[in-house]
Amino acid sequence: MAAEVPSPFRILALETSCDETAAAVVADGHDVLSSVVSSQVDLHARFGGVVPELASRAHVDLLTPVIAQALVEAGLDGYGIHAVAATIGPGLIGSLLVGVSAAKALSLVWGVPFIGVNHLEGHLYASFIEEPDLEPPLVVLLVSGAHTMLIAMEGPGQYRLLGSTIDDAAGEAYDKVARFLGLGYPGGPVIDRLAMDGDPHAIAFPRAMKDEGYDFSFSGVKTSVITYVRKQPDVSIADVAASFQEAVVDVLVTKTRRAATEIGANGICLGGGVAANSSLRERLLDACIADGLRGFLPSRAMCTDNAAMIGAAAWWRYQSDGPTPLDVGADPGLHLPLVG
Amino acid sequence: MIILGIETATNQVGCALGGYEGVLASFHASRGRRHAETLAPAIEFVCKHARIEMKEISAVAVDIGPGLFTGMRVGVATAKAMAQALRVPMIGLSSLDLLAFPVRHSDRLIAPVIDARKGEVFTALYRQVPGGVQRLTQYRICTPRELASELIARDEDCLVVGDGGLRYRDVLANAGGVEVGEVGFAYPSASALVELAHPRAIREEFVQPWELELLYLRKSDAEINWDRQESV
Repeated sequence: MAAEVPSPFRILALETSCDETAAAVVADGHDVLSSVVSSQVDLHARFGGVVPELASRAHVDLLTPVIAQALVEAGLDGYGIHAVAATIGPGLIGSLLVGVSAAKALSLVWGVPFIGVNHLEGHLYASFIEEPDLEPPLVVLLVSGAHTMLIAMEGPGQYRLLGSTIDDAAGEAYDKVARFLGLGYPGGPVIDRLAMDGDPHAIAFPRAMKDEGYDFSFSGVKTSVITYVRKQPDVSIADVAASFQEAVVDVLVTKTRRAATEIGANGICLGGGVAANSSLRERLLDACIADGLRGFLPSRAMCTDNAAMIGAAAWWRYQSDGPTPLDVGADPGLHLPLVG
Repeated sequence: MIILGIETATNQVGCALGGYEGVLASFHASRGRRHAETLAPAIEFVCKHARIEMKEISAVAVDIGPGLFTGMRVGVATAKAMAQALRVPMIGLSSLDLLAFPVRHSDRLIAPVIDARKGEVFTALYRQVPGGVQRLTQYRICTPRELASELIARDEDCLVVGDGGLRYRDVLANAGGVEVGEVGFAYPSASALVELAHPRAIREEFVQPWELELLYLRKSDAEINWDRQESV
């Protein structure tokens, strides 16, 4: 059921799918009036990964002030909001339910529609916030701690999955390598930083399935890093970090580039936490320039989990599907709605 | 004064509206769909059928546990957001208080017992006082066997209510003089929540949405394992 949407249409969006408690007010799918993200990284660091029960507890405590701040920064009270959106999946069930429950409650009190949003779709629209004139078809590389997907976006709501990881997500491989090297959690930023002082060609780590298809595998490179360091304990950690990063980025960029050529894309978009990686951004932009494509790299704040991208995706979803019924739950394994 | 009560700490989900006139409307479901799917439509339903508009609600009361963590959070997240949007204060009450209150006319010792899973229960002991019940002990988590031995030591007639009482009936009934209440008293109710919240609202014993805290009584498994490793 398509819905008529007046302008400006201001959506308060909530995102609590993992370990960021976030709220944002977004007008017309791209105008970010406020975006507040409260990270729980410090809470989970000592455990080397996100602890679902701790994340859920923190969301309940943090969400009220985060919503209040998003409204204040947008210069609104609740009655200037036209709809309330929340991530309904995929993610951690206990965490998702906090945001979904709060969003439904706000929509009840304010008498405005509730819009349930797919977290992955949120990442796809992150680029549209900063580049509202993006013209599909686009190839989107979605890389995070939980996902590695290559998606052909043929229009709003029109997605085709070209490939995804068959084992570890790229971000997961970063975390596991960082843990093995004793670098702490999360692994992405620290390896990225170390890699700047290392030689990316010092060690030739394997590039799994680089030239075949669009699926990814990062379990092998992780294992060979571990094996290598065990055999050569005196190796420079910076060289290991740089060479590991080079192997991961090489595969990601090569496949994304090939996909863009094959589907005749206008451009390449990045999304997900690993999209904040400096080497990936640099290499992808170089590839776009070489191939005459436009590269849309959302700012780092838009790559990692945030509620503004949920507000953007909600605006598109609302126009095509209308409001989400209040009896919907959260779905931890929610898939991206695909065509064909 | 209209109070909205929200209760999701056990397998039952419920909401109720009430005030000076007592409970005006209530909804409870102890099987069927999940809390998060049921709660918002249920709130809409009770408001509609009691002919009460959202803006007439002057306080939001909620069960803060102890109970099933994920269920509790659905109710508390909903209640906090409603209070925030309505700009009204909150009243947080324990699930154990809510279980003890409906059996307040018994002169026996009252022991609400909630199934905490993993072989444990949440409990506290209460006694009848004029107009309600008074809690005699701390809220705590223990094994049914530990509770049974405490009841034996107290050597008093005792009424046990709650889903934990039903589950561990065999263990608890070992203590002499213990009766386990029937299934009608097994879950904390949103109606009891509204009734108990009303005098507090009159005394203005409120908390703000950002101050309301849940009563978990048990750490996350990750923290328990961490503490265990630290102590080794």
